[in-house]
Amino acid sequence: MTMDMDEMLTKIKDRQWALADIDWDAPGVETISEDFKPRLKAFMADLCWIENVGARGFAAMAKKAPTPMIAEIYRYFHAEEQRHANAELALMKRWGMLEGDEIPEPSVNIRMAIEWLDTYADDMPLSVLGTVIPMLEVALDGALLKFLLEEVHDPVCHQVFEKINNDESRHIAVDFEVLDMIGHARARKLAIDFVSNLASPGLIVGALMYVPLLNRMRNNIVEMGLQPEKLYAAMSRFERLGRRGEFTHRVPLFQVLRVHSQMVVNSEHPYHLLANSMVKLSEYYPRALFRPIPTWFKELTYEPVSTGVKKGMNAA
Amino acid sequence: MSAKVCTTLVIGAGFTGLGTAIKLREAGIEDLVILERADRVGGTWRDATYPGAACDIPSQLYSFSFAKNPGWSRTYSPSAEIQAHITELAERFDLVNDIRFNTEVTTMRFDRREARWEVSAGRRTFYARTVVVASGPLSDASLPKIRGIDDFGGARIHSARWDNDYDFAGKSVAVIGTGASAVQIIPELVKVAGSVKVFQRTPGWVLPRVDLATPEAVKQVFERIPVVQQAARTALFVAHEAAATGLVWNTPVTSLIQQAGKLHLRMRVKDRWLRRQLTPDFRAGCKRMLMSSDYLPALQAENCKLITWPIATITADGLRTSDGLEHHVDAIVFATGYDVHLDGPPYRISGLDGQVLGEEWAGHPQAYKSASAHGYPNLFFTCGPNSGPGHNSLLVYVQGQIDYAVAGIRTIVEQDLRWLDVKKDVQDAYNASIQRRLRSTTWMSGCSSWYLTADGFNASMYPGFATQYLRQMQDFRIRDYEVASNAAARLWNIPRDVAAV
Ligand SMILES: Cc1cc2nc3c(=O)[nH]c(=O)nc-3n(C[C@H](O)[C@H](O)[C@H](O)COP(=O)(O)OP(=O)(O)OC[C@H]3O[C@@H](n4cnc5c(N)ncnc54)[C@H](O)[C@@H]3O)c2cc1C
Ligand SMILES: [Fe+2]
Ligand SMILES: [Fe+2]
Repeated sequence: MTMDMDEMLTKIKDRQWALADIDWDAPGVETISEDFKPRLKAFMADLCWIENVGARGFAAMAKKAPTPMIAEIYRYFHAEEQRHANAELALMKRWGMLEGDEIPEPSVNIRMAIEWLDTYADDMPLSVLGTVIPMLEVALDGALLKFLLEEVHDPVCHQVFEKINNDESRHIAVDFEVLDMIGHARARKLAIDFVSNLASPGLIVGALMYVPLLNRMRNNIVEMGLQPEKLYAAMSRFERLGRRGEFTHRVPLFQVLRVHSQMVVNSEHPYHLLANSMVKLSEYYPRALFRPIPTWFKELTYEPVSTGVKKGMNAA
Repeated sequence: MSAKVCTTLVIGAGFTGLGTAIKLREAGIEDLVILERADRVGGTWRDATYPGAACDIPSQLYSFSFAKNPGWSRTYSPSAEIQAHITELAERFDLVNDIRFNTEVTTMRFDRREARWEVSAGRRTFYARTVVVASGPLSDASLPKIRGIDDFGGARIHSARWDNDYDFAGKSVAVIGTGASAVQIIPELVKVAGSVKVFQRTPGWVLPRVDLATPEAVKQVFERIPVVQQAARTALFVAHEAAATGLVWNTPVTSLIQQAGKLHLRMRVKDRWLRRQLTPDFRAGCKRMLMSSDYLPALQAENCKLITWPIATITADGLRTSDGLEHHVDAIVFATGYDVHLDGPPYRISGLDGQVLGEEWAGHPQAYKSASAHGYPNLFFTCGPNSGPGHNSLLVYVQGQIDYAVAGIRTIVEQDLRWLDVKKDVQDAYNASIQRRLRSTTWMSGCSSWYLTADGFNASMYPGFATQYLRQMQDFRIRDYEVASNAAARLWNIPRDVAAV
């Protein structure tokens, strides 16, 4: 299933869009009921930050890419995740969820993810990043949008998510192609990467961050009155897409995540006891222990147009 | 056929063309003509008038040893001063009368029967026994092919063709590119413009550039005791040669230079993310080093911002980046570099058997000692294939090329040769060795740069010390060439075009 990356890059360049392409004042705001707003806001805030986390993941991947062409593709994906975050922020603005210049606060679990990425991602080998990122993409990034569309009937929201989904389909195609390339590497190399990182603080902390993050999103979904099965379906997609690749099954971390996702998908599995207590525990994580929010985090903006330079922000 | 045939025709009146003329004169070859497409001498330095333009190799080394300037005002002289120096050279050596200005070479062909080059410039044709190509390694520049570039309604300014009438005061400006010109322009723009957004694709290694004013006393010593100036030049030369161990070859010294680059970054940039954005992911030397002490501080100025998102398209009002934003600006500065003609000069050159150089060189240009190409007799290149330094002044290399060309031309004149054409096997052996030696260099360490052709072939850089290069250029060997002599043709009364020996 080898993909022509050259063609893919051209396609990516052809399909760029901007916030300015969307009429943010078009009718449809009234479709969001007042009592739904707080839950939607929490969901959107997390979603928006998950995009940002994905963005940071691609930034790390760009440095590890197996070919310059793929590095360039990741450079675009990094920006596209940022674009998704910006667009989602603009939706929140449109729905009156942001006061003035307010940028929603990331939840603890997101902050943990950010901190993890900022500390470890650049040092992770491709075989680790290249497995974790696809999981993040199918389970959260790509899938969450779909839930939203069932609950939200604002046409502008649909217009935005159609664009985002199109981007995501390209992300996922490349993600799994690269995962397969990783599987193609010598088994010895894969084993070494895996074993040497298994006990590394990077992966351990990573797991501690990922487990509650996932369950938190699951709980968010349930709170919005949606079926968690949707999330599970998305997660099994990870396994399905991975199975299509000829070599993907040889990636040890793929196997780990696959087994993990089976546990997540099974709501009866005792795993959820652990994961949910981790969500609760993380709420007690002392905020003071976080390092200051990295500056890349402040680049988010809902303004389609930027004139001049305002420090600390991409916008305005 | 009474057309005047001069001994040597030089294309270009930049540093190189003028230096060639000076040395030819010195060798007794008076009968020469210089064609220059512009209306003044100077080349690069006539055209580079952007704010902050200066050389990034110390001026003492960035000049010819046979035509020094004791009066350089600073360690790194600004463009206007270099231009004044070149103008002064043309006058000092009385070259102006030999220059045909506003004369752009469009094609040239070797006339086998008459054993001369026929050089066309518009409607005019010039004839010469020998030709020196000195039309510059970086003399053409065009706007990059970015989507929507023609839709932009504001000012589009290319660093190589600066619009000195445009007033940047208070304007919102975008700068595209972060190479050698950009690091000079940005600090100046930040001083005057309302805002400056810098669009970066790949960061380069930045090292501080200690630029000091030359004390008056030192200038006077240089003026009165030229040996002292030569000594200063030699010291700089040796220091730059030492850098080759890290900038030319990929060695532990390369890592040391990177450490210096990282230290510089760490000292100048506090923010981790910005530092990450500015950290190159290629070996130092693989692309041109950026020498600047004020670039990093300028990027962090209140009115400046570095943007690393890809540019999706240019619009009527500005640029759209892939993070979905549109940046409205009044002007876009393209600091996107030059059209590097890796396939040879952009004008058509046809050789002994009518073959065309650009076609032969497409993708894989090859010459002997960077100066001669088989099948193109009596033609000498400057800044030819594999002649570029990564660590030293280009003019040091050019001086070697001039010596070589002068030696070749003298041989043609003194031995009364119809032509001198480098042997194919000599040229092939030389290039095989160059390509072998290139393998261990930083340029081949995996980055993509303008040094390499699309398929990654390195036809621009010389893999070695300047000293090595100069030694080979000072050694002109006639046995490397096939010669056709006039004497033989006369003696045996054979048709002139079969008189090859
Ligand atoms: C901004 C800038 C900074 C640089 N800084 C340094 C530095 O610090 N150190 C260093 O070593 N090198 C530097 N360089 C490289 C620089 O190009 C050379 O050092 C040097 O100026 C080359 O001189 P030249 O005479 O060979 O070419 P040029 O200066 O380019 O002169 C070529 C001349 O040929 C003319 N010409 C071109 N085509 C034709 C034609 N078809 N017909 C007639 N005439 C033609 C041009 O108009 C021009 O006048 C720099 C280059 C640039 C652009
Ligand atoms: Fe996304
Ligand atoms: Fe994505």
